[in-house]
Amino acid sequence: MTFINYVAHEINCKIVYYGPGLGGKTTNLKYVYGITSPENRGKMISLATETERTLFFDFLPIDLGQIRNYSTRFHLYTVPGQVFYDASRKLILRGVDGVVFVADSQEERLDANLESLSNLEQNLKEHGFDLSTIPYVLQLNKRDLPNVMPAEKLQKFLRVKGEPVYEAVATQGVGVLETLKAITRQVLVALRKSA
Amino acid sequence: MVPGSKLLTDATVMNLSELLLQESDYQRLRGVLAKTQKDLRAVLVLLIDRGGHEIASEGKGLGADHTALAALAAANLAATQELARLVGETEFSIIFHQGRYRSIHVSDVAKRFSLVLVFDDSISLGVVRWKVKRATASLEEIFRGLLDRPKSATAPAANAASASPVHFTDAEIEKLMKHFAPKADKEGKV
Repeated sequence: MTFINYVAHEINCKIVYYGPGLGGKTTNLKYVYGITSPENRGKMISLATETERTLFFDFLPIDLGQIRNYSTRFHLYTVPGQVFYDASRKLILRGVDGVVFVADSQEERLDANLESLSNLEQNLKEHGFDLSTIPYVLQLNKRDLPNVMPAEKLQKFLRVKGEPVYEAVATQGVGVLETLKAITRQVLVALRKSA
Repeated sequence: MVPGSKLLTDATVMNLSELLLQESDYQRLRGVLAKTQKDLRAVLVLLIDRGGHEIASEGKGLGADHTALAALAAANLAATQELARLVGETEFSIIFHQGRYRSIHVSDVAKRFSLVLVFDDSISLGVVRWKVKRATASLEEIFRGLLDRPKSATAPAANAASASPVHFTDAEIEKLMKHFAPKADKEGKV
Protein backbone atom coordinates (compact mmCIF):
# COMPACT_ATOMS: atom_id res chain seq x y z
CA MET A 1 0.00 0.00 0.00
CA THR A 2 1.58 3.21 -1.13
CA PHE A 3 1.71 5.70 1.69
CA ILE A 4 1.72 9.32 0.63
CA ASN A 5 2.67 11.79 3.29
CA TYR A 6 1.55 15.16 2.06
CA VAL A 7 2.85 16.76 5.22
CA ALA A 8 6.45 15.61 4.87
CA HIS A 9 6.26 15.49 1.06
CA GLU A 10 7.04 11.78 0.75
CA ILE A 11 5.76 8.96 -1.41
CA ASN A 12 6.48 5.61 0.27
CA CYS A 13 6.19 2.36 -1.65
CA LYS A 14 6.92 -1.26 -0.86
CA ILE A 15 8.67 -3.65 -3.25
CA VAL A 16 9.15 -7.33 -2.46
CA TYR A 17 11.79 -9.56 -4.02
CA TYR A 18 10.32 -13.05 -4.25
CA GLY A 19 11.71 -16.34 -5.55
CA PRO A 20 13.16 -19.72 -4.62
CA GLY A 21 15.77 -20.21 -1.93
CA LEU A 22 19.36 -19.26 -2.80
CA GLY A 23 18.15 -17.51 -5.94
CA GLY A 24 19.89 -14.20 -5.20
CA LYS A 25 17.21 -11.98 -3.64
CA THR A 26 19.42 -10.87 -0.77
CA THR A 27 22.33 -10.41 -3.17
CA ASN A 28 20.18 -8.00 -5.20
CA LEU A 29 19.55 -5.89 -2.12
CA LYS A 30 23.15 -6.00 -1.01
CA TYR A 31 24.26 -4.74 -4.41
CA VAL A 32 21.71 -1.90 -4.33
CA TYR A 33 22.91 -1.02 -0.85
CA GLY A 34 26.50 -0.98 -2.03
CA ILE A 35 25.97 1.36 -4.96
CA THR A 36 23.57 3.77 -3.29
CA SER A 37 25.06 6.80 -1.63
CA PRO A 38 24.59 6.87 2.16
CA GLU A 39 22.31 9.90 2.04
CA ASN A 40 19.91 8.02 -0.26
CA ARG A 41 19.64 4.83 1.73
CA GLY A 42 18.76 3.74 5.23
CA LYS A 43 20.10 0.91 7.30
CA MET A 44 19.92 -2.52 5.69
CA ILE A 45 18.37 -5.04 8.04
CA SER A 46 18.88 -8.77 7.47
CA LEU A 47 17.04 -11.24 9.64
CA ALA A 48 19.02 -14.34 8.75
CA THR A 49 20.10 -17.64 10.23
CA GLU A 50 23.67 -18.23 11.37
CA THR A 51 24.35 -19.67 7.92
CA GLU A 52 23.16 -16.43 6.32
CA ARG A 53 19.95 -17.87 4.92
CA THR A 54 17.09 -15.39 5.14
CA LEU A 55 14.96 -16.27 8.14
CA PHE A 56 12.29 -13.59 8.01
CA PHE A 57 13.25 -10.81 5.59
CA ASP A 58 15.86 -8.33 4.44
CA PHE A 59 14.89 -4.69 4.44
CA LEU A 60 16.47 -1.75 2.67
CA PRO A 61 14.90 1.70 2.42
CA ILE A 62 16.15 3.82 -0.47
CA ASP A 63 15.34 7.29 -1.70
CA LEU A 64 15.20 7.53 -5.48
CA GLY A 65 15.07 11.29 -5.56
CA GLN A 66 12.44 13.97 -5.95
CA ILE A 67 9.46 14.07 -8.22
CA ARG A 68 7.19 17.11 -8.11
CA ASN A 69 8.93 18.19 -4.96
CA TYR A 70 8.13 14.88 -3.22
CA SER A 71 10.75 12.40 -2.08
CA THR A 72 10.21 8.93 -3.55
CA ARG A 73 11.08 6.39 -0.89
CA PHE A 74 11.02 2.71 -1.69
CA HIS A 75 11.12 0.04 0.98
CA LEU A 76 12.76 -3.04 -0.52
CA TYR A 77 12.06 -6.38 1.14
CA THR A 78 13.10 -9.92 0.38
CA VAL A 79 11.25 -13.01 1.54
CA PRO A 80 12.81 -16.22 2.81
CA GLY A 81 12.89 -18.51 -0.20
CA GLN A 82 12.92 -21.83 1.58
CA VAL A 83 9.62 -23.64 1.20
CA PHE A 84 8.89 -24.11 4.90
CA TYR A 85 8.97 -20.37 5.63
CA ASP A 86 5.69 -19.79 3.86
CA ALA A 87 4.00 -18.12 6.84
CA SER A 88 6.76 -15.48 6.87
CA ARG A 89 6.48 -14.91 3.13
CA LYS A 90 2.78 -14.17 3.46
CA LEU A 91 3.45 -11.54 6.12
CA ILE A 92 6.01 -9.73 4.01
CA LEU A 93 3.58 -9.41 1.09
CA ARG A 94 1.21 -7.38 3.23
CA GLY A 95 0.76 -3.95 1.63
CA VAL A 96 3.07 -4.70 -1.30
CA ASP A 97 3.12 -2.30 -4.25
CA GLY A 98 5.32 -4.26 -6.64
CA VAL A 99 7.05 -7.63 -6.91
CA VAL A 100 10.34 -8.72 -8.44
CA PHE A 101 10.58 -12.45 -9.05
CA VAL A 102 14.22 -13.51 -8.86
CA ALA A 103 14.50 -16.79 -10.71
CA ASP A 104 17.46 -19.12 -10.48
CA SER A 105 18.48 -19.85 -14.08
CA GLN A 106 20.08 -23.21 -13.35
CA GLU A 107 18.45 -26.15 -15.09
CA GLU A 108 17.95 -28.12 -11.88
CA ARG A 109 16.16 -25.20 -10.18
CA LEU A 110 13.31 -24.97 -12.66
CA ASP A 111 10.93 -26.88 -10.40
CA ALA A 112 11.85 -24.63 -7.46
CA ASN A 113 11.18 -21.57 -9.62
CA LEU A 114 7.80 -22.89 -10.68
CA GLU A 115 6.84 -23.83 -7.15
CA SER A 116 7.82 -20.40 -5.86
CA LEU A 117 5.92 -18.65 -8.65
CA SER A 118 2.81 -20.63 -7.85
CA ASN A 119 3.29 -19.85 -4.17
CA LEU A 120 3.59 -16.14 -4.98
CA GLU A 121 0.34 -16.18 -6.92
CA GLN A 122 -1.42 -17.94 -4.06
CA ASN A 123 -0.03 -15.68 -1.34
CA LEU A 124 -0.85 -12.54 -3.31
CA LYS A 125 -4.42 -13.78 -3.64
CA GLU A 126 -4.67 -14.18 0.12
CA HIS A 127 -3.83 -10.50 0.47
CA GLY A 128 -6.34 -9.54 -2.21
CA PHE A 129 -3.76 -8.92 -4.94
CA ASP A 130 -3.71 -10.36 -8.42
CA LEU A 131 -0.43 -11.29 -10.08
CA SER A 132 -1.92 -10.37 -13.43
CA THR A 133 -2.41 -6.74 -12.39
CA ILE A 134 0.22 -5.95 -9.77
CA PRO A 135 3.46 -4.25 -10.93
CA TYR A 136 5.80 -7.14 -11.64
CA VAL A 137 9.25 -7.82 -13.09
CA LEU A 138 10.98 -11.12 -13.80
CA GLN A 139 14.71 -11.39 -13.24
CA LEU A 140 16.62 -14.39 -14.56
CA ASN A 141 19.55 -14.52 -12.20
CA LYS A 142 22.84 -16.44 -12.16
CA ARG A 143 23.38 -16.14 -15.89
CA ASP A 144 27.11 -16.61 -15.37
CA LEU A 145 26.79 -20.23 -14.25
CA PRO A 146 27.56 -23.06 -16.72
CA ASN A 147 24.38 -25.07 -16.28
CA VAL A 148 21.79 -22.37 -16.98
CA MET A 149 18.75 -22.83 -19.16
CA PRO A 150 18.60 -20.64 -22.28
CA ALA A 151 16.83 -17.40 -21.34
CA GLU A 152 14.16 -17.80 -24.02
CA LYS A 153 13.30 -21.28 -22.80
CA LEU A 154 13.22 -20.23 -19.15
CA GLN A 155 10.95 -17.32 -19.97
CA LYS A 156 8.44 -19.66 -21.55
CA PHE A 157 8.05 -21.36 -18.20
CA LEU A 158 8.17 -18.32 -15.95
CA ARG A 159 6.84 -15.29 -17.77
CA VAL A 160 3.25 -14.77 -16.72
CA LYS A 161 1.95 -11.63 -18.41
CA GLY A 162 4.44 -10.00 -20.72
CA GLU A 163 6.32 -8.42 -17.83
CA PRO A 164 9.81 -6.98 -18.38
CA VAL A 165 12.50 -9.66 -18.11
CA TYR A 166 16.08 -9.01 -17.12
CA GLU A 167 19.02 -11.36 -17.25
CA ALA A 168 21.19 -10.83 -14.22
CA VAL A 169 24.32 -11.80 -12.37
CA ALA A 170 23.46 -10.25 -9.03
CA THR A 171 26.83 -11.06 -7.50
CA GLN A 172 28.41 -8.76 -10.10
CA GLY A 173 25.56 -6.28 -10.22
CA VAL A 174 24.59 -7.17 -13.76
CA GLY A 175 20.94 -6.32 -14.35
CA VAL A 176 20.26 -5.43 -10.70
CA LEU A 177 19.71 -1.72 -11.11
CA GLU A 178 17.78 -2.22 -14.35
CA THR A 179 15.45 -4.58 -12.54
CA LEU A 180 14.94 -2.10 -9.72
CA LYS A 181 14.26 0.74 -12.12
CA ALA A 182 11.77 -1.35 -14.06
CA ILE A 183 9.73 -2.21 -10.98
CA THR A 184 9.83 1.31 -9.51
CA ARG A 185 8.73 2.72 -12.86
CA GLN A 186 5.78 0.32 -12.92
CA VAL A 187 4.83 1.15 -9.34
CA LEU A 188 4.82 4.88 -10.05
CA VAL A 189 2.73 4.40 -13.19
CA ALA A 190 0.28 2.23 -11.24
CA LEU A 191 0.10 4.90 -8.55
CA ARG A 192 -0.74 7.53 -11.16
CA LYS A 193 -3.46 5.32 -12.60
CA SER A 194 -5.00 4.73 -9.19
CA ALA A 195 -5.26 8.45 -8.40
CA MET B 1 11.67 9.93 8.07
CA VAL B 2 10.47 12.24 10.74
CA PRO B 3 7.88 14.58 9.24
CA GLY B 4 9.42 18.01 9.26
CA SER B 5 7.28 20.55 11.04
CA LYS B 6 8.69 23.27 8.83
CA LEU B 7 6.82 21.74 5.92
CA LEU B 8 3.45 22.00 7.55
CA THR B 9 0.86 24.32 6.11
CA ASP B 10 -2.89 24.48 6.59
CA ALA B 11 -3.51 22.98 3.18
CA THR B 12 -1.36 19.89 3.63
CA VAL B 13 -2.94 16.52 4.15
CA MET B 14 -1.79 12.98 4.63
CA ASN B 15 -3.26 10.06 2.77
CA LEU B 16 -3.54 6.88 4.83
CA SER B 17 -5.10 4.68 2.21
CA GLU B 18 -8.77 5.63 2.46
CA LEU B 19 -8.16 7.98 5.36
CA LEU B 20 -7.24 11.55 4.64
CA LEU B 21 -5.64 13.29 7.53
CA GLN B 22 -5.80 17.05 7.57
CA GLU B 23 -3.10 18.99 9.27
CA SER B 24 -5.31 19.67 12.27
CA ASP B 25 -5.85 15.89 12.69
CA TYR B 26 -2.16 15.28 12.32
CA GLN B 27 -1.41 17.85 15.00
CA ARG B 28 -3.92 16.19 17.33
CA LEU B 29 -2.18 12.85 16.79
CA ARG B 30 1.15 14.46 17.53
CA GLY B 31 -0.36 16.04 20.62
CA VAL B 32 -1.30 12.62 21.99
CA LEU B 33 2.16 11.26 21.24
CA ALA B 34 3.82 14.30 22.80
CA LYS B 35 1.82 13.96 26.01
CA THR B 36 2.62 10.25 26.24
CA GLN B 37 6.28 10.91 25.58
CA LYS B 38 6.39 13.60 28.23
CA ASP B 39 4.42 11.65 30.83
CA LEU B 40 6.64 8.59 30.46
CA ARG B 41 9.82 10.49 29.70
CA ALA B 42 9.98 8.01 26.83
CA VAL B 43 12.96 7.86 24.53
CA LEU B 44 10.64 7.58 21.55
CA VAL B 45 6.93 7.33 20.82
CA LEU B 46 6.16 6.28 17.27
CA LEU B 47 2.84 5.87 15.48
CA ILE B 48 3.12 3.59 12.45
CA ASP B 49 0.75 1.90 10.05
CA ARG B 50 0.62 -1.87 9.69
CA GLY B 51 2.80 -1.65 6.58
CA GLY B 52 5.65 -0.28 8.68
CA HIS B 53 5.43 3.36 7.60
CA GLU B 54 5.91 6.07 10.16
CA ILE B 55 2.98 8.44 10.57
CA ALA B 56 4.20 10.60 13.45
CA SER B 57 6.71 10.48 16.26
CA GLU B 58 7.84 12.29 19.37
CA GLY B 59 11.18 12.02 21.14
CA LYS B 60 14.54 12.05 19.48
CA GLY B 61 16.49 9.72 21.69
CA LEU B 62 17.28 7.25 18.94
CA GLY B 63 18.36 9.76 16.31
CA ALA B 64 16.59 10.22 13.01
CA ASP B 65 16.50 6.65 11.70
CA HIS B 66 13.00 5.52 12.57
CA THR B 67 12.51 3.75 9.25
CA ALA B 68 14.08 0.46 10.26
CA LEU B 69 12.42 0.56 13.67
CA ALA B 70 9.00 1.07 12.10
CA ALA B 71 9.54 -1.76 9.60
CA LEU B 72 10.74 -4.20 12.26
CA ALA B 73 7.98 -3.31 14.71
CA ALA B 74 5.32 -3.83 12.03
CA ALA B 75 6.83 -7.18 11.03
CA ASN B 76 7.11 -8.18 14.67
CA LEU B 77 3.47 -7.40 15.32
CA ALA B 78 2.39 -9.21 12.16
CA ALA B 79 4.37 -12.29 13.17
CA THR B 80 2.93 -12.13 16.68
CA GLN B 81 -0.58 -12.04 15.30
CA GLU B 82 0.14 -15.16 13.30
CA LEU B 83 1.44 -16.81 16.45
CA ALA B 84 -1.81 -15.89 18.18
CA ARG B 85 -3.84 -17.53 15.47
CA LEU B 86 -1.72 -20.66 15.67
CA VAL B 87 -2.50 -21.08 19.36
CA GLY B 88 -6.19 -20.34 18.93
CA GLU B 89 -6.23 -16.68 19.95
CA THR B 90 -7.73 -13.98 17.78
CA GLU B 91 -4.81 -11.70 18.52
CA PHE B 92 -2.01 -10.73 20.87
CA SER B 93 -2.51 -7.01 20.82
CA ILE B 94 0.62 -6.09 22.77
CA ILE B 95 4.30 -6.93 22.43
CA PHE B 96 6.73 -6.10 25.19
CA HIS B 97 10.48 -6.57 24.95
CA GLN B 98 12.36 -5.91 28.17
CA GLY B 99 16.01 -4.99 27.99
CA ARG B 100 18.50 -4.23 30.72
CA TYR B 101 18.33 -0.47 30.15
CA ARG B 102 15.68 0.03 27.50
CA SER B 103 12.45 -1.65 26.62
CA ILE B 104 10.03 -1.60 23.73
CA HIS B 105 6.26 -1.74 23.95
CA VAL B 106 4.26 -2.22 20.73
CA SER B 107 0.48 -2.12 20.78
CA ASP B 108 -2.42 -2.13 18.40
CA VAL B 109 -4.36 1.02 17.55
CA ALA B 110 -7.69 0.65 15.74
CA LYS B 111 -6.58 -2.59 14.05
CA ARG B 112 -4.59 -0.78 11.39
CA PHE B 113 -1.98 1.24 13.25
CA SER B 114 0.54 0.53 15.99
CA LEU B 115 1.97 2.57 18.79
CA VAL B 116 5.65 1.90 19.48
CA LEU B 117 7.21 3.09 22.73
CA VAL B 118 10.89 2.97 23.60
CA PHE B 119 11.53 3.78 27.24
CA ASP B 120 14.16 3.53 29.94
CA ASP B 121 14.21 1.14 32.88
CA SER B 122 13.23 3.96 35.24
CA ILE B 123 9.59 3.61 34.16
CA SER B 124 7.53 0.72 35.43
CA LEU B 125 5.66 -1.44 32.97
CA GLY B 126 2.40 -0.85 34.80
CA VAL B 127 2.65 2.89 34.24
CA VAL B 128 3.52 2.31 30.60
CA ARG B 129 0.48 0.12 30.13
CA TRP B 130 -1.77 2.64 31.79
CA LYS B 131 -0.50 5.53 29.68
CA VAL B 132 -0.59 3.47 26.48
CA LYS B 133 -4.19 2.54 27.18
CA ARG B 134 -5.13 6.18 27.53
CA ALA B 135 -3.12 7.23 24.48
CA THR B 136 -4.67 4.44 22.41
CA ALA B 137 -8.16 5.56 23.38
CA SER B 138 -7.34 9.13 22.35
CA LEU B 139 -5.79 8.04 19.05
CA GLU B 140 -8.72 5.77 18.26
CA GLU B 141 -11.12 8.60 18.96
CA ILE B 142 -9.28 10.77 16.44
CA PHE B 143 -9.32 8.01 13.81
CA ARG B 144 -12.99 7.30 14.50
CA GLY B 145 -13.74 10.98 14.00
CA LEU B 146 -12.01 10.84 10.64
CA LEU B 147 -14.05 7.88 9.52
CA ASP B 148 -17.31 9.43 10.73
CA ARG B 149 -16.66 12.79 9.17
CA PRO B 150 -18.97 13.54 6.22
CA LYS B 151 -17.22 13.37 2.89
CA SER B 152 -18.07 17.01 2.22
CA ALA B 153 -15.97 17.96 5.21
CA THR B 154 -12.89 16.34 3.71
CA ALA B 155 -13.54 17.56 0.18
CA PRO B 156 -11.10 20.48 0.36
CA ALA B 157 -8.44 18.11 1.65
CA ALA B 158 -9.14 15.62 -1.09
CA ASN B 159 -8.83 18.37 -3.67
CA ALA B 160 -5.52 19.41 -2.22
CA ALA B 161 -4.38 15.81 -2.43
CA SER B 162 -5.41 15.33 -6.03
CA ALA B 163 -3.37 18.35 -7.04
CA SER B 164 -0.26 16.60 -5.79
CA PRO B 165 2.48 14.38 -6.84
CA VAL B 166 0.93 11.24 -8.29
CA HIS B 167 -0.19 12.89 -11.49
CA PHE B 168 3.35 12.86 -12.76
CA THR B 169 4.13 12.50 -16.44
CA ASP B 170 6.13 9.76 -18.13
CA ALA B 171 8.91 12.30 -18.65
CA GLU B 172 9.05 13.03 -14.92
CA ILE B 173 9.28 9.32 -14.12
CA GLU B 174 12.04 8.84 -16.69
CA LYS B 175 13.90 11.82 -15.27
CA LEU B 176 13.72 10.24 -11.83
CA MET B 177 14.99 6.91 -13.20
CA LYS B 178 17.83 8.64 -15.02
CA HIS B 179 18.78 10.54 -11.90
CA PHE B 180 18.97 7.34 -9.86
CA ALA B 181 22.09 5.88 -11.43
CA PRO B 182 24.72 5.63 -8.73
CA LYS B 183 26.93 3.64 -11.09
CA ALA B 184 26.52 2.56 -14.68
CA ASP B 185 24.53 -0.67 -14.58
CA LYS B 186 25.49 -3.51 -16.83
CA GLU B 187 22.70 -4.09 -19.33
CA GLY B 188 20.60 -7.11 -18.59
CA LYS B 189 17.30 -6.78 -20.45
CA VAL B 190 16.39 -9.74 -22.63
